[in-house]
Amino acid sequence: MSIGAAFVDGVMRVKRAPWLVIGLWLSTLVLALPLSLALHGLIGEHLGDSMAAQSAAAGMNYDWWNEFLAQSTGVGKTFVPAILGFAAVLQNISGVADASGPPSPVVWVVAAQLIVSTFLSGGVLDRLARDRAIGAGAFFSACGVYFLRFLRLSVVTVAIYALLFVTVHGWLFGTVYGRLLEDLTVERTAFFYRLALYAAFATLVLFANLLFDYAKVRAVVEDRRSMIGALWAGGRFVRRNLGATIGLYALNTVAFLAVLALYYLAAPGAASNTLAFAIGQLFIVLRVIVRLQFAASQTTLFQGRLAHAGYVARPVPRWPDSPAAEAIGP
Amino acid sequence: MALVTDRKGLCRLGCLALLAGVLVEPTFSQEWPPLSPRNANYDIDVALDPSTRTLTGSEVITWRNIGTVAANSIRIHLYWNAFRHTNSTWLKQRKLVGDDPFGEAPDSDFGYTEVASIAVINDAGSVMADLKPVLRYISPDDQNVDDRSLASAQLPSPVRPGGSLRLRITWAGKFPRNFDRTGAIGNYFFVSQWFPKLGVFAAGGWTAHQFFANSEFYSDFGRYDVRMTVPSGWLLGATGREQARTDAGNGKTTHRYVQDDVHDFAWTTSPDFIEKKQRFEHGGLPPVEMRLLLQPEHDGLADRHFTGTAAALRYYGEWYGAYPYGHLTIVDPAFQSDSGGMEYPTIFTGGTRWLSPRGSNDPEYVVLHEAGHQWWYGMIASNETERGWLDEGLNEYSDSRVQAEALQPNYYVERFFGDFIPWQFSDIPLQRDTDTNWMNSYRQMGDRDALSTPTFQLWPATHQAQSYHKTALMLHTLERRHTWEVMQKVLSTFFIRWQFKHPQPDDFFAVVEEVTGTPHAWFFDQAYRSSNKFDYAIERFDSSALSSRGLTGTKLEFEEKTASDRFRTTVVVRRLEAGVFPVDVLVTFSNGEQVRESWDGLARWQAFTFDRPVKAVSAQVDPDRVLLLDTSYTNNSRVMDTHAEIAATKWSVRWMVWLQDLMMTYAFFV
Repeated sequence: MSIGAAFVDGVMRVKRAPWLVIGLWLSTLVLALPLSLALHGLIGEHLGDSMAAQSAAAGMNYDWWNEFLAQSTGVGKTFVPAILGFAAVLQNISGVADASGPPSPVVWVVAAQLIVSTFLSGGVLDRLARDRAIGAGAFFSACGVYFLRFLRLSVVTVAIYALLFVTVHGWLFGTVYGRLLEDLTVERTAFFYRLALYAAFATLVLFANLLFDYAKVRAVVEDRRSMIGALWAGGRFVRRNLGATIGLYALNTVAFLAVLALYYLAAPGAASNTLAFAIGQLFIVLRVIVRLQFAASQTTLFQGRLAHAGYVARPVPRWPDSPAAEAIGP
Repeated sequence: MALVTDRKGLCRLGCLALLAGVLVEPTFSQEWPPLSPRNANYDIDVALDPSTRTLTGSEVITWRNIGTVAANSIRIHLYWNAFRHTNSTWLKQRKLVGDDPFGEAPDSDFGYTEVASIAVINDAGSVMADLKPVLRYISPDDQNVDDRSLASAQLPSPVRPGGSLRLRITWAGKFPRNFDRTGAIGNYFFVSQWFPKLGVFAAGGWTAHQFFANSEFYSDFGRYDVRMTVPSGWLLGATGREQARTDAGNGKTTHRYVQDDVHDFAWTTSPDFIEKKQRFEHGGLPPVEMRLLLQPEHDGLADRHFTGTAAALRYYGEWYGAYPYGHLTIVDPAFQSDSGGMEYPTIFTGGTRWLSPRGSNDPEYVVLHEAGHQWWYGMIASNETERGWLDEGLNEYSDSRVQAEALQPNYYVERFFGDFIPWQFSDIPLQRDTDTNWMNSYRQMGDRDALSTPTFQLWPATHQAQSYHKTALMLHTLERRHTWEVMQKVLSTFFIRWQFKHPQPDDFFAVVEEVTGTPHAWFFDQAYRSSNKFDYAIERFDSSALSSRGLTGTKLEFEEKTASDRFRTTVVVRRLEAGVFPVDVLVTFSNGEQVRESWDGLARWQAFTFDRPVKAVSAQVDPDRVLLLDTSYTNNSRVMDTHAEIAATKWSVRWMVWLQDLMMTYAFFV
């Protein structure tokens, strides 16, 4: 199977699984909602009956915003201008690239999202691998089956990512970058040094991500119980299909960049309009679709190259027949 | 000096400046009538060795005692000794706020000034007395015996008022890694505070402080005749105008720069600079040759440097008085040089970024600010070490006004990816009253010190919030109270009266009172002499049908009345902080009627009651936002029809998208 075919088939599989898209989008919404409501309360309380509320509602009142920030603690401190429009995307990706981590008031929400994503991963991959509706029961059954396995896998992934983001990042952007800049007097050169280091670091992170992706795909498609074995098998698949796996990853990355480009063009600013919510959520939906597209196309590629299309080792779990049904008997 | 009207003052200065322009070359300013006392004159030879990053210098200081008592000793600043070791006063103060630039620095990063010889000489140059044996490092400000940034020597005979002293000093200087706007990195040398320099002798003694993290500089006016020897082919910029250039034939070239009526001398050299020139011309003002020494990577930003500089020359010139020197050098500092944003006479450093959005005032703001220091620091030579607000604050106030007048739009910018990639927020145009006056900085640190605290004793992290930002807001508050025309007259009067002198805060306050015709001690006592904050708020706002219940009549019978055509509006205004300022209270009624009451703001609260045929819709205290020092303006108003819910929903929804995107970004790793 070519990478183009895997990409297209991935698109079709995601298209045929709308509930996955809706479910994952809802998971982000539900997890984000409590803190959003908390922030809503803080803003509402600070604005009170003031005239500042009118200008803040109609457009931008930056002075009020600064005053709010100066008097805020906790989640209110994260309400900074960088949450506006496309700057939000830049801030978040920049935070990962610079290994600054999520702001502490929201770190638990991000952690919760990671746990939820880990839980849902098994069901998502199972659904995408079968490429047919399996029902909520089977979906969550798969989630449950693979959750513990993926938690075991995450011991390895967390260790590798920690090594990358703490040790390697610290070395690249602390020691190496520091030495490169020691007597440098040209900012442009410093920028290109940093760009090169970003590229080197991204290569390592994305390759690790690629390995972990195929480890999960193999764990689900082949119903593997050993996560070390899945990781090893995933690595073997990547090694034997290096061009295809990297090419497909690159193609999916282009799709991701296309989504970012769309949001760059459409991101709502400060002006008050009812479309702002819709555009924002549409962007999140597109991000969910791209995330699923990675999983679907990688599953397709694996099934196409090593197994046969649509093959999944684990049988679809069936909900136990009711006692009444048993009583009727065959 | 009698009060000079603005127009006359401008004209007088303009004529002097035009005269200076004519006489400037080849024998600079000898015939130019002195603008200043010229009592501290420096004749310096200095050679730069880039390979060892050292200077070797020799200077003759001719100093005249313009005080009223005899001087028995001298005070010499040796600023580079602040970078000599980690126990200097400068570094110890930096460490107070967790800044330790020399914590792990290699030995090559340290710098020093080492006096080799110092002697009193006669007019023929013969040594009259060797002062080296009596030269002592002193630390009058903090008794730090390790600090070597200030030295003293007892004179063999006192210098009486009107008398003169000639000193010859030879010294060696080692450049520190760029710190605090001086030093060297790569092939870029910014050379400031580099020569042994006298303090100021006045009021019965020397005013000379050690080098502190916050404090800048203070010295007397004079003539500087400086010959700098650097590698041939390197571009050099300095205070003054180049008078001669001599190629020694050994790969070294000596540049001679001369400038009268200045109180410091700085220079820079590098083989990497590119040079650009423009001529400032504006009706009614003398022309100025602007010379820009630019980093090659900022070639595309050259015009923006000239725009910022020209804005200062034009607006400060029109508002306060013309720039008299006829030339001005703008230095674009090298990346990582820590020498950006610093002023010296007729030369200053800007500072910009390789990627600089068109809609932001980078580099215009910093260029404008430093060019503005030619007035507030250069010509008004206040004591920066003790009263930094007099130059920084007046300048910040002025440059924010220029930005509002001439440099728009100016959008908020943040940088991502290692602080490289700029993002311009087109939704956030920066406003003069709050943003370019740095309200947010003052809001957070305005009460950490009193502005009257000597600058070198300010908490190191609050210097900017106090000297720059609180002062700008304080002056803008006065502007809103008295109008810009009055403030412009205050500042131009202060400038014309005190140019080429050393004014003190009371001199400024006296001009404020003279021009406004009203006492202002009540204001400066709070805004300047105390750390009081200001915060007025509408505590209660109620408007309902006029009613009464109880034994209201004469017959002691219970009555209950509610008028259908009369409404009582009650507004309670509260002073939440210690700061007192007279404020207006504005109440708007549903029929459009507005009632404005004045309140002296003294009591902790005041109630206002209005009976009208309609209900009130809003109440505001300080509706025109005269008091820009009020740290919380949101609580200054109340309305009946609140939009808080709409606003909170709008902003929390946007924030939620950011959070969801953050979650999706990290979910990538699962």
